[in-house]
Amino acid sequence: MTTIFFATDIHGSDICWSKFLNAGKFYNADQLILGGDMTGKAVVPFIHQGGSNYRITLLEQVFDVSTEDELTDMKKRVRSRGYYPYMTTPDEIAELEKDPQRVSEIFLAEVLKVVQQWMELADKKLEGTGMTVYCCPGNDDMDEVDEIVRSSRSVVLAEGQVTSLKSGHEMIASGWSNRTPWDTHREEDEDQLKVRYDAMTSQLKDPHNAIFNIHVPPYKSNLDEAPELDENLRPKMAGQSMKPVGSTALRRSIEEVQPLLGLHGHIHEGRGVSRIGKTLCINPGSMYEQGTLLGALVRLGKRKVEDYVLTTG
Amino acid sequence: MSNLFVRKATGLVRSWSVMDAFIYALFSINLITLGLYSFSQMYYFEGGMVNALIISAIFIFFEVVVYAALISVMPRSGGDYVWQSRILGGAVGFILAVTGWWFILWLWVPLYGDMFRHIVLVPLLGVLGAKETALWFAGTQNGAFTASLITLGIVSLFIVLGMKTYARIQKFSFYGGMLGLLIVIVLLLTGSPEAFKAGLESNAASMFGTGAGLYDQTVSLGTEAGAITPFAGGSLALVFLVIPYMVFFNLWPNWGATLYGEVRGATDFKRNMAGMGSALGITTLLGIVLLYAIRNTIGWDFYVQAGAAWWNYAWGFTDVTPALPVWPYPALLASFLTTNKLVQFLVVALMSLWWFGWCATVFLSSTRVIFAAAFDRLLPESVAKLDERTGTPVNALLLMVVPSVVVAYLFNYNLLNFQTLTLCSTLVIAVTFLGTTISAIVLPYTKPDLYRSSPIAKYNVLGIPLITVAGVIFGGFLVYLLYQWIFDPNLLYGIGISNTNSILYMLGNYVLAAVIYFGFKAYRKSKGIDLGKVQAEIPVE
Repeated sequence: MTTIFFATDIHGSDICWSKFLNAGKFYNADQLILGGDMTGKAVVPFIHQGGSNYRITLLEQVFDVSTEDELTDMKKRVRSRGYYPYMTTPDEIAELEKDPQRVSEIFLAEVLKVVQQWMELADKKLEGTGMTVYCCPGNDDMDEVDEIVRSSRSVVLAEGQVTSLKSGHEMIASGWSNRTPWDTHREEDEDQLKVRYDAMTSQLKDPHNAIFNIHVPPYKSNLDEAPELDENLRPKMAGQSMKPVGSTALRRSIEEVQPLLGLHGHIHEGRGVSRIGKTLCINPGSMYEQGTLLGALVRLGKRKVEDYVLTTG
Repeated sequence: MSNLFVRKATGLVRSWSVMDAFIYALFSINLITLGLYSFSQMYYFEGGMVNALIISAIFIFFEVVVYAALISVMPRSGGDYVWQSRILGGAVGFILAVTGWWFILWLWVPLYGDMFRHIVLVPLLGVLGAKETALWFAGTQNGAFTASLITLGIVSLFIVLGMKTYARIQKFSFYGGMLGLLIVIVLLLTGSPEAFKAGLESNAASMFGTGAGLYDQTVSLGTEAGAITPFAGGSLALVFLVIPYMVFFNLWPNWGATLYGEVRGATDFKRNMAGMGSALGITTLLGIVLLYAIRNTIGWDFYVQAGAAWWNYAWGFTDVTPALPVWPYPALLASFLTTNKLVQFLVVALMSLWWFGWCATVFLSSTRVIFAAAFDRLLPESVAKLDERTGTPVNALLLMVVPSVVVAYLFNYNLLNFQTLTLCSTLVIAVTFLGTTISAIVLPYTKPDLYRSSPIAKYNVLGIPLITVAGVIFGGFLVYLLYQWIFDPNLLYGIGISNTNSILYMLGNYVLAAVIYFGFKAYRKSKGIDLGKVQAEIPVE
């Protein structure tokens, strides 16, 4: 019997990353698995107002800070929500408005800096615990993230690999997604995804006992219901109009291979469980902005899922 | 935050509009279904109806603040269940939310069914000339039970069709229903009491076979039934006694709170508040206008007396059948101002959309709570299973439909005095709201990090967090309502400690929820999973 803790889509939230690293001990789990989308979605400018004063706009609220303690506290708040604080000046803001390339560079630098810090924290916290984190960056994560993860002693980059867990279960992993309206870093057409999955599943020695750690959920699994959007990316019908947006290639692959367990994310509001044939598929959802780590605790027995529960930490 | 600093990433959609939230909340506090149904039952109170409408709306505005704030702090599906379980603990969250959003909604089914027959079936059948069928639905227990079963069928169909289709139905119903209401108000504002009286006598006779002197007989029966509620006025104390009944209609601008969380952008406190608040304000205003229009042409005294005559018989206080053998539905009464059958049909058909746009709310929230409980392993996994072909949550639906049939049977045939339980449907949900309100009051103090990083952190009143202030005011209001309902010192509501069946029914619901929670918790523990930890916060350091 082994217990897996799985979480996903923490999108740059420092609190969620720290909680994730502590989750093994907290839940008595034997194995930590992280789905994709580790990186945050926005930079928050801290605009220097002269002296020790800064103005910050967070979630449409304007904050003025004037002391070192307030500044530190505000940075922590911004980071805990998954955003990246960036110290700047009114002049630089004006320049950046005209220079999107420079903004991208700033973004990349901030993202990589935080991923580096996260890997260092993981190495420090997990050292001597015997615990390893398996992760695969998701469609929102830039390619440059991979190298930093590879350099970690305690976090294993599982993308495109067949990994043997301590429990003996084989796991395939991928953060690539089917096409989205946002044209993100790792997305491709369904036929290409199928090739990607087949390349891994063909290597499985015991497919029915395997784990699929795939960022996207399978199509029409009830784990992939997202608000239907109009041409301005605004939810239709007050967000009541939901539609399945998961991967058809993944669904086909699960139907063919019938692995033991599917671990998914990508659709934050798709929290739930679903069975496709004999395969238990889980999407723990995401509440990274509130600093809450949603997860799934799965107890695996001999060739079967003994029990599972979705957690709210 | 400038869009300049937002990068390409999935899920960065723009927030929903105030209009979206407004429509949702407007249908939740439904002036036509819940409003007119409630107003007609409140004939024996001495406080002014309009005064109660306004004062209750003022208090309920603080409910809007509480829920808009909680949505913006924790915008997730599940609403009350999530907030209470995260702030007050898993047992409190489960027992209050499951009882309030699942079990008690079984009792709402015959109420929805009753409104269905009075607002949709009877007036449409009457206008179409199907007199016998209309009267069968209006005046027999078999008709009432059948209406409940048809309601279950329609709601189940909407669930099967899916949220997308239902959202379209709702939007169409909103515009059609509003047009119908406008026509009704214009008819009532341009008519005269004399024209109404003549129209009532002739149309009721042709549609429902009533005899001469219907108007006067109704006045007489209503007066004997104790119809006294004034249009406005009355002391503050008397008005406050009307409010515990009034909230059966208007306590629900937050009904969609469990769904708001599924929409990105729901962290926008002001937008959420504007949507729910404007629905509350406009519904209150429309209510006043409609009641004024009713007074103008139907006549206030006659309106209250007609309601009294109907309910006095329906509730079994008299054996004398009402002279008007159908519920005095103001839209139907307004259509009596014309003899044009097409206009009459148009009015009642458009007004029936208020019911169709609203009816699925009885199952939407409940099935979400059932899902949430199943995800937390407090119900069997099969409960959350969806039908592969239709995507219908068949088992969750059965957990609503089957008990609802039993409750509808007990209610419509008034077994075990079940019809006196009507206001229990509100009491139990108010208890759930009280749990959520307490969660809101303590949130800034028990979850300071979560609160400080939320969009509502900047709103304070004299240094006290707005969510706490609003929570104390609304919580006080709920405590007042619960006191009146449970202790019922003036014997006005009939669901308190003097009604043993009512107390047993409600306690039974809570005990059932507790048995499920503690039973499944023990079962999961035996399987090696500690459910006590699934809601606990993981230490950060």
